[in-house]
Amino acid sequence: MHTKTDLRELSYAEAIREAMDIAMAQDERVILMGEDIGVYGGAFGVTGDLIEKYGMDRVMDTPISELGGAGVAVGAAMTGLRPIFEFQFSDFATLGMEQIVNQAAKIRYMLGGAVSVPVVMRFPSGSGTGAAAQHSQSLEAWTAHVPGLKVVQPATPADAKGLLLAALEDPDPVMIYEHKILYKMKGHVPEGHYTTPIGKAAVMREGKDLTIVATAIMVHKALDAAETLATEGIDAEVIDLRTIRPMDRDTVLASVRKTGRLVCVYEAVKTLGVGAEVSAMVAESDAFDYLDAPIIRLGGAECPIPYNPELEKAVVPQVPDILEAARNLAKGRI
Amino acid sequence: MGRTFSVRDTVTPNNTPYAIARYSADELKEALKKMYLIRKFEEGAEDSYMRGLIHGTMHLSIGQEASAVGSCMSLSDEDKITSTHRGHGHCVAKGADLSRMFAEFFGKESGYCKGRGGSMHIADPSKGNLGANGIVGGGLPIAVGAALSAKRLGTGAVTVCFFGDGANNEGAFHEALNMAKVWNLPVVFVCENNKYGMSTSTERSTAVKNIADRAVAYAMPGVTVDGNDFSAVAEAVDAAVERARKGEGPSLVENVTYRWRGHSKSDRNRYRTKEEIAEWQSRDPIAAMAKLLTDHKIASEDEIAGIEADATRIIEEAIAFATEGANPKIEEVTRDVYTQEIAS
Amino acid sequence: MPTEVIMPKVDMDMAKGKIMSWHIAEGERVSKGDPLFDIETDKAAMEVEAPADGILYHTAPEGMEIPIGTPCAWLYAEGEDVGEQPAPFAGQGAHTVQPEQAAVTDEDDTTSPEHALASVDAVAGEATDKVRATPRARSLASGAGLNLADLIGTGPRGRVQAQDVENEIALRDTRPAPPQTPVAFRAETGALAVTRSKGGTGTPIVMIHGFASNAMSWGQIEAHVKHRPIIRIDLPGHGKSPKLRIDSFADLVREMRRAFDDLNLETAHLVGHSLGGAISIALADTRAKRLSSLTLLAPAGLGPDINGNAVTGICRATRTESLAPWLRALVANEDLVTDSYARLAMEGREDANLRAAQTRLADALFPDGVQAFDLRAALQRIDLPTRILWGKQDAIIPWQHALRAPGHMALHLFDGIGHMAHIECPDAVGKIIKSVV
Repeated sequence: MHTKTDLRELSYAEAIREAMDIAMAQDERVILMGEDIGVYGGAFGVTGDLIEKYGMDRVMDTPISELGGAGVAVGAAMTGLRPIFEFQFSDFATLGMEQIVNQAAKIRYMLGGAVSVPVVMRFPSGSGTGAAAQHSQSLEAWTAHVPGLKVVQPATPADAKGLLLAALEDPDPVMIYEHKILYKMKGHVPEGHYTTPIGKAAVMREGKDLTIVATAIMVHKALDAAETLATEGIDAEVIDLRTIRPMDRDTVLASVRKTGRLVCVYEAVKTLGVGAEVSAMVAESDAFDYLDAPIIRLGGAECPIPYNPELEKAVVPQVPDILEAARNLAKGRI
Repeated sequence: MGRTFSVRDTVTPNNTPYAIARYSADELKEALKKMYLIRKFEEGAEDSYMRGLIHGTMHLSIGQEASAVGSCMSLSDEDKITSTHRGHGHCVAKGADLSRMFAEFFGKESGYCKGRGGSMHIADPSKGNLGANGIVGGGLPIAVGAALSAKRLGTGAVTVCFFGDGANNEGAFHEALNMAKVWNLPVVFVCENNKYGMSTSTERSTAVKNIADRAVAYAMPGVTVDGNDFSAVAEAVDAAVERARKGEGPSLVENVTYRWRGHSKSDRNRYRTKEEIAEWQSRDPIAAMAKLLTDHKIASEDEIAGIEADATRIIEEAIAFATEGANPKIEEVTRDVYTQEIAS
Repeated sequence: MPTEVIMPKVDMDMAKGKIMSWHIAEGERVSKGDPLFDIETDKAAMEVEAPADGILYHTAPEGMEIPIGTPCAWLYAEGEDVGEQPAPFAGQGAHTVQPEQAAVTDEDDTTSPEHALASVDAVAGEATDKVRATPRARSLASGAGLNLADLIGTGPRGRVQAQDVENEIALRDTRPAPPQTPVAFRAETGALAVTRSKGGTGTPIVMIHGFASNAMSWGQIEAHVKHRPIIRIDLPGHGKSPKLRIDSFADLVREMRRAFDDLNLETAHLVGHSLGGAISIALADTRAKRLSSLTLLAPAGLGPDINGNAVTGICRATRTESLAPWLRALVANEDLVTDSYARLAMEGREDANLRAAQTRLADALFPDGVQAFDLRAALQRIDLPTRILWGKQDAIIPWQHALRAPGHMALHLFDGIGHMAHIECPDAVGKIIKSVV
């Protein structure tokens, strides 16, 4: 029996806003920083009307200064605040990489553990909006390559809220990559304060024939594909990685031991990305002995995101791509 | 060569220098001692390097002691500083323990950073030092963030942001100064203009004559002072700190000074003349400070000799402490990457 | 400057080729386009023509493997000085002298890079000799004490998958031990048996039977084409031929080519069935100039699939009762395999050494129930008038393999016929052959 509130649905963007609202109400130290997050409500409306509740001192519009803004957030985090910094588009974070990579990630280590940098950064990412090459990238592997950072990619509204609240409790810098297409997706979101553990993947669907490890929007495409596969007698297990640094080794390896077949699906460019890491993790582990087919990676094409909608669709994995890969694997065709 | 900075009125109406009027004899002697400690720390570091006792490079601030110590005179442990790759002096000025500094320099577990940071990152956060920085301009936005915390949390703390002349051409400098003013934050930007970004002179790299002129663009007070004049530095920075503390926002102070040594140990000094170096060495900030104290009967020459001997002894003890210290354990190399270690 | 005679690349994945035989001796004259030597790759044998007019010297010894693109002989012009061999052979046995020689002749030593490449290829080739199996199949096989090499991989490119190992484990648990230990094979030597018809004139017809069959199987076709001389060759280890030691398809082709060459025919029509069809393709690839036409009945070599159980079953059968069911698998209408037919067939297989020879041959040609040789490329090269006949109920080799034939070849597909068209519908087959010859 569900009560009415149990079934409450929020969009992914609303879930993030609710998380920020809860955190700001509970903790004066939490501030929001970013370009046009105040009265404008954020480029994707994520911060919404929080400025009305918390004022412009806590919902701070920054100048268009990604490097400086990121650095201010780092400095504030080192000295007692819990800033949540929004890059308007994850692509713009390239301008702030110095502060993310050289400062936020390394200060704790360089100072022998004497200081923590509990900063949270949000990166609206991904393609599908017709915004072309400089507003559509999935660059999560960039930050996931840097020790000292934690990198998450929530796929559902509930995890978007839970991971943001977990990030705020984390003493270390947490990068949150939010797929822009997911912002409007609705899903059940529990009320009140809760956290989704960082570093823990979620088995979204159990299955025995093959494992599909997916991130962000690809989780939903993988689940769609799994439904179709089920009608064909192929029982796919779908894992939402949720955190890509640190990666949940145990969940992935346990699944591969069970199914012996693995597809990794992610929107970022295929080479040198999350799929490579997942594949290598399996290949280096005892789960290797359980593999009964080659591993397949489905990732973005080796090109910038194009503008034309058909091209834009073509450069990232779609449900039919997952179906084909899964069928080939399950039927021993590759 | 003429001085390019505009010397402010550095004497009080009754002709007493600012520092003499503002600080007690003990405070001034302590300042002199810190200047000696910086000089001797750097000399000890250089000596250790030449003996092969350390494996990294270093950026020595010999000749810039008045800037480091003078800028920190009115700061408490609650106040913050951000520092640069040439940061040993700032660390001493902000009250760090020389033994732990040397231990870090030697890469020992007993060092401030447990051997993980080394020369370029020595810092004592417990004294408000948020760290030296290997990235030119890296500390500027961080200082603004620290000032934002102070304002938001109402701690009353001020942040002094040290940076070099090289950093004034980084985007981070401009973004940081702009935001500090937009949000009216308690931060003092202290540019230690030692005239060369590695080998490139400010004349060749910077469009404005004085870096303090940049302050105009960000609607904050800007002043250029003789960075080898302890009193002038203290007067300019103290005023800026006071403005910050009163909520009047950020300031930019430019301390014109000179590093006697090369940029780092690989520097062959091809870009400046022996005469120029000698000219600046003749304006030794420590000698000037000692003279200031003797001229105003704050300390006798014997006392000063005693202060210097004290500093020498502290450095010797620090080197001994560092030498004896244990090396970090290799199996602990990933400790402190995260607060809670992540299983690999 | 003598002209280099190089080992040609005739197959996509060919790294080197073996010199089988030189058509002329050293010091003899050859014209451009004349057959110069026969080579054998891991897939096919073929004839290589002379690249230029000249006198042949410095030939690589027969049997030597030469990396593709590197010289295996030199042709000298009339009166040209023949000195030292211009460069060592890049093949086996030359490796140890190669570096030194290369240093001396580095100016025109164009063979070195290719040699290096060929060496790498050779190493890669070795790697592919290993059993292809998934990690899970490996660990399952290892746990069950099974040798992966004994398993049949049903995955892509013959990859052994977990299911294959699980099937084998299940089978092992139910399969009784072999009833008897197979008779050890005793190799024989000698020329292959050739049967010649008495009458007939004009271009003779050479017929090559299939695996586990013999020259007598052509009996019903003979009546349709007796106006021509008919020559039937028994395969090694079959019929009246000696039980030669055959370790590979190439070995088999070599023996059959020798027998064909010994016939000294100006030209001939070639008819082959099943394995004999495969041999006919290989002969046509190297002896095209001495052939007028090619007729292939359900030829092997055009795909990996073959009914391994039938091959094994026929080889193993020591009694009519165990042979008959497999004979029935050969044909579409099982009524053709009467008890007396089966008895007669078994009588031809009484010799245990013949069965051992055929078992051994089957293992070399069809390991794990897969056709280990591939003549698809050779078939593409054939420019002779060619007909392919196949029964659409063939349960031994799928008739769809015929679809790989190039367009100029005629396909005759028979409904209601199995693997033995020349026995199941001899009149139809006979008429077709007659129309050709």
